[in-house]
Amino acid sequence: MKKRKVGTIFRVVALSLYLVFAVFPLAWIFLTSIKPATEVYTFPVRYLPSRPTLEAYRYLFSFARFGVYFKNSFIVTVVSAGLSTVFAVMAGYVLTRERFKFREVLVLVLFFVQMLPTYLVMIPLFTMFSRLKLTNSLVGVITVYTSFGSAFGTIMARAFLRNIPKDIEEAAMIDGCSKPGALLRVVVPVLLPGIGAIFSFCFVNSWNEVFTAILFLHSDHKMTVPVALYSFVSKAGIQWNVMAAGLVVALVPTICVFAFAQRYIVQGLTQGALKG
Amino acid sequence: MKKLWVVLMLLPTFSLVFLLNLYPLVRGGVISFQRLTVFNLNNPRYVGLANYETILRDPNFPRILWNTLVWIAWSVSLQFIFGLILALLLEKPFKGRGAYMGFVFYPWALSGFAIGLLWSWLLNGQFGVVNDLLVRMRFIKVPIGFLSDERFAMMSVILVNVWYGIPFFAIMLLAALQSVPRELYEAAQIDGAGFFQRLFGITLPYIRPTVVSTILLRIIWVMNFPDIIYGMTRGGPAGVTTILSVQMLNVVYYRNNFGLASALGVIVTAVLLAFAVVYLSLLEKGEFEL
Amino acid sequence: MRKFLVLLLMVVLLATTFSQQVTLRMIQVFTSPLRTKILEEIIAKFEAQNPGVKIELISPPYETAYQKIYLMVSAEEPLDIVEVGDWSLSALASMGKLLSLEPYLAKSELPKYFVPGVLEAARTYKGTAYLLPNALYVKTLFYRPDITSKYGFPNPPKTMDELLQYCRALTKPEIGQYGFNFRGKGYPTAFIDIVMTSFFDDIDPNCMYLKKDGKLIFEDPRALEGLKFYIELYKTAPKDSINWGFDEQVNAFVSGITPYLFQDPDTVGLLKELMKEGTYKTAPLPIGKGGKAYPTLGFSGWGITSYSKHKDLAWKFLEFFNSPEINAYWCREYGALPVDKRVYEIDPYFKSEVFAGWRAMFDDPKHYQFTKYPLDNEAWSEWNELHETTMQQVLLGKMKPEDALKTWANFWKKAGLGK
Repeated sequence: MKKRKVGTIFRVVALSLYLVFAVFPLAWIFLTSIKPATEVYTFPVRYLPSRPTLEAYRYLFSFARFGVYFKNSFIVTVVSAGLSTVFAVMAGYVLTRERFKFREVLVLVLFFVQMLPTYLVMIPLFTMFSRLKLTNSLVGVITVYTSFGSAFGTIMARAFLRNIPKDIEEAAMIDGCSKPGALLRVVVPVLLPGIGAIFSFCFVNSWNEVFTAILFLHSDHKMTVPVALYSFVSKAGIQWNVMAAGLVVALVPTICVFAFAQRYIVQGLTQGALKG
Repeated sequence: MKKLWVVLMLLPTFSLVFLLNLYPLVRGGVISFQRLTVFNLNNPRYVGLANYETILRDPNFPRILWNTLVWIAWSVSLQFIFGLILALLLEKPFKGRGAYMGFVFYPWALSGFAIGLLWSWLLNGQFGVVNDLLVRMRFIKVPIGFLSDERFAMMSVILVNVWYGIPFFAIMLLAALQSVPRELYEAAQIDGAGFFQRLFGITLPYIRPTVVSTILLRIIWVMNFPDIIYGMTRGGPAGVTTILSVQMLNVVYYRNNFGLASALGVIVTAVLLAFAVVYLSLLEKGEFEL
Repeated sequence: MRKFLVLLLMVVLLATTFSQQVTLRMIQVFTSPLRTKILEEIIAKFEAQNPGVKIELISPPYETAYQKIYLMVSAEEPLDIVEVGDWSLSALASMGKLLSLEPYLAKSELPKYFVPGVLEAARTYKGTAYLLPNALYVKTLFYRPDITSKYGFPNPPKTMDELLQYCRALTKPEIGQYGFNFRGKGYPTAFIDIVMTSFFDDIDPNCMYLKKDGKLIFEDPRALEGLKFYIELYKTAPKDSINWGFDEQVNAFVSGITPYLFQDPDTVGLLKELMKEGTYKTAPLPIGKGGKAYPTLGFSGWGITSYSKHKDLAWKFLEFFNSPEINAYWCREYGALPVDKRVYEIDPYFKSEVFAGWRAMFDDPKHYQFTKYPLDNEAWSEWNELHETTMQQVLLGKMKPEDALKTWANFWKKAGLGK
């Protein structure tokens, strides 16, 4: 009994410490976002604003037109993350379950693609898209993000799929299911936590992507959130309270996606454990 | 029939990969053999290996390589260890676990440049919150120049990278941990195995494939992730935090020399490739089944 | 009936031809939310005066703006008006994608009213005007009399020696008070050079790194004195300032840690939001041992792409932007110095206290000689990184000042500068 109590205390302490470590910068961002502009730069450091204000947020949505950027980011991210997840599961399934020539090579290619520094690829990609007149379009950006996301997603899908035994699909196919049917009806439900993880990662990566978006999007009404945030970093310094407000706002969707995905992961895992 | 099925399933991902990643890579490789700066963007000259020579002959190059090694080794190992601890702590469900996870995993949701910016303020030698707290709690007397003192700069950027990367490992490892069949633990408990015996005897071996590929993936990403360092120190002071990918950024933004930057990019890719080969061959065959 | 239809068709066709909308695309470099707003207001005014014309403003983040412009222009992405800064002029012009504005300038009234130096600035690259400058950037001394008076220095330092003396007197690390607002990273060259060149009296007005006899300043013993003096100034700043960029400099100035700051006029716009009026003042740059100070004339303006389909219309906008009322509005809101002489006479803002420093320098050519950086030298873009790294090494004590100067001298000799 004593052992368990010690174990629990240790758990609680460790988890609390980590919570503080992880969350205090977020608290700082939040506090800064509700400070008036004159209290942002002070010495000694000021923690609490003397009078909390929403002026930074107002500024963000009116002056800086954040609403439009939010919408664009949302479209780009959801579409590319969704497509990436679907493509990843498709490719991952075939790369795990089927045997064919060049299978190993293709997997190596996926890992190899992760090694490419973005800047190496950026300029040729830009020239290519410019000639195809795909610059300054959300479709162009979605395409680029989906290529990164599906490559990485496929690797993840394989890792998750390898932990799922083949017996489930084989049983279904003996019962008369077709291959795609087995995939959809039997494998996918068990793979849900993995799918949740893949979608979350692709979502976060696309949502936060800055450099491709900066280069490929020109018009103001097509801008995405991270580019807008980066625009607050100007030659004449950073408006910290507005930047903080922007960060808070930009965090909301990703935190929601994570929170939502957790539930799926937990739910799906209890299912998987039952199925054994 | 099977062939068609395979091709169709692979087509979306790989057509994108070939068109948008591999083809531009080839073009990028070509650029690395050219003198292409902002001054002659429209008529580049082929200069063979000149760009590579410039990079390799640079007296700073060995130090940059060393910095890169230090950065990767410390960042990834610390992220893994703490990520594993966190995953183990979260494995048993408890009330509010979902909310806790939602909160605590958010660093992964921030963009690299935002993190660099944020932490450069928190660690500021004059107005930084960290210094302020440390002084108030009497741990130190004089503020530490986390980012300006060469003794602390590398440690600080690594710390921030770890702060950022723990959630990734925690999520991946948690998902892997939960796939370990309960029967194995039950059998072990009957045999009277303790916590650490279970950990090293059952858990870790079972999730080894996931661990191996996650670590490799993370190493690759950390190598190509200059955003945090760039946002915090730009590779300074005096180049102590400059790693290969940061140097590439410097070459693009300060020197506007795209040929040189592409050569650096090719070198980065080659280093990663070499590393991956070594890493995989060091593991027993079958451990990392591709 | 048929005749009526044909007539209707003709009317419709004519109507559409005349109401055809032209869209110009314009890209800026020094993006900030405030600046974008001001630009949009000016654009709105122009659109009101010119119905059927729309201008689309592209505002990339400042840190990547140059790269984006270079790539877009070289790929000939649809762009008509491009912001050209003094540091990107040579790169853009050498690409061959900027239109020479000489024919337009020849027919325009504007050059008559240019502040001295503006037309030469426009012609920096191969003697041809590739941009129409609309803002000047000159560094001056900002200071906080509210803080410095506490230590017995109500007036700004007139010479470099006084500056060092005041800064030393203020430096009390125990209470977090320092003197000199040091710039450590992010193009620190402009700041070091102000101090170093003040030790000379024979700098070439066409190139800051050359003396009148054509030799590089880095090989002159006075450069070593200047560099050592600069190191002394660093000692009156927090050690952390080796990592300070613009943002940290502003923060330190606003919070009062380092009340003496060298900066450009666009800092004024930012300080207006962060500080109460009157808390800070400007003064001319301190004079050095050579009896002079050598500020550089930075500039920015609009250029027209060589492949633009609406060149004349683009020029119309440029001229509109440089008209005295708009130039005054632009510079007043944004905080740069106007290029048009008339503005200084008409607008009371530019006679105010805040502009004291710049006015004093413009009015005193004997002590304040304006000079230029070798911007049209291809090596210029590589200079900054080298300078920043070697300077940081000197400050950290890892490199001797003499060796740094030798490195710099060799760099420029290789680039073809200096005899």
